[in-house]
Amino acid sequence: MRRIPVVILLAVWLAGCATPTPPEPREIHLAATPETTLREAMDLLMERGYVIRYADGDLGRLEAVLGRMPGYGVSLRVAGQQDGSRVSVVATRGGRPLAPRVLDPLLTDLQTRLEPLP
Amino acid sequence: MRRWLLLLLPALLAGCQVTPTTLPVAEPAPAAECRWPAGPGDSLARAVTALEAEGFLVRHTDAALGLVSAERARSTLYHDHGVERLPRFGGFVLGGSGGHVASGVMVGIGIGGGIWPATDEATRIERVSVVVGAQQVQVSRDIRLFDWRGELRESRSASDTAFCRELRDAIEAVPPQESP
Repeated sequence: MRRIPVVILLAVWLAGCATPTPPEPREIHLAATPETTLREAMDLLMERGYVIRYADGDLGRLEAVLGRMPGYGVSLRVAGQQDGSRVSVVATRGGRPLAPRVLDPLLTDLQTRLEPLP
Repeated sequence: MRRWLLLLLPALLAGCQVTPTTLPVAEPAPAAECRWPAGPGDSLARAVTALEAEGFLVRHTDAALGLVSAERARSTLYHDHGVERLPRFGGFVLGGSGGHVASGVMVGIGIGGGIWPATDEATRIERVSVVVGAQQVQVSRDIRLFDWRGELRESRSASDTAFCRELRDAIEAVPPQESP
């Protein structure tokens, strides 16, 4: 049948739309206390126009949103370690996770602020 | 004959998977007025009082970080002029003839309108966060518009000069004795 390739293409097209990707947090280690890390992360996100919906220094959590269609969000988890903090970040677009590499510029800025190069 | 159609389909396929390559930022960027050096009287308590006076409902605070997050809902009118912002895709066809039953997906683009009223009631929700730090006070805001069906129609970043100036004046108008 001649229509078979068209049917296969349509099926692939629709599957491409619906495949969910599991959230993969981007993780970095920083030589700063969790509270300082959260403070700087809040500052960087607000500079970019994000609204902080929730942040807690004791729990080491931060949720920020950006009012652009279809709605973007960034969520941070900060855990204290003996010599600094471990940060893991997830970004979402319309409730779906974005590729972790989109967070690299933000995390580089965070790192530069907390660990200024000599 | 149908080859052009086959070439079109991968283009549609690619369209589905478009995702940003960098973390999106507000456009335009927040106004310079949305960040000012903290004065001796600036405190989280004054910022909370000012937001409440402006009709905001405080949703979250963290005193150690100096953060207050609040929102304000207003009923408004939405002028959509009966035009759907996004074309609707879809349609499912099931048919049979001569003993064969076939199903397929039909793709169509439709633009609604005509029978819908030009204005609808809508809810406008502003979300604001204020951080009162040791050196500076920083504000960011966005506005979302939901139509009467509860669907998100508009969403934009709104950290603009007028709002930030007004909020700063409101914070400075709060008597300092209210702060602990």
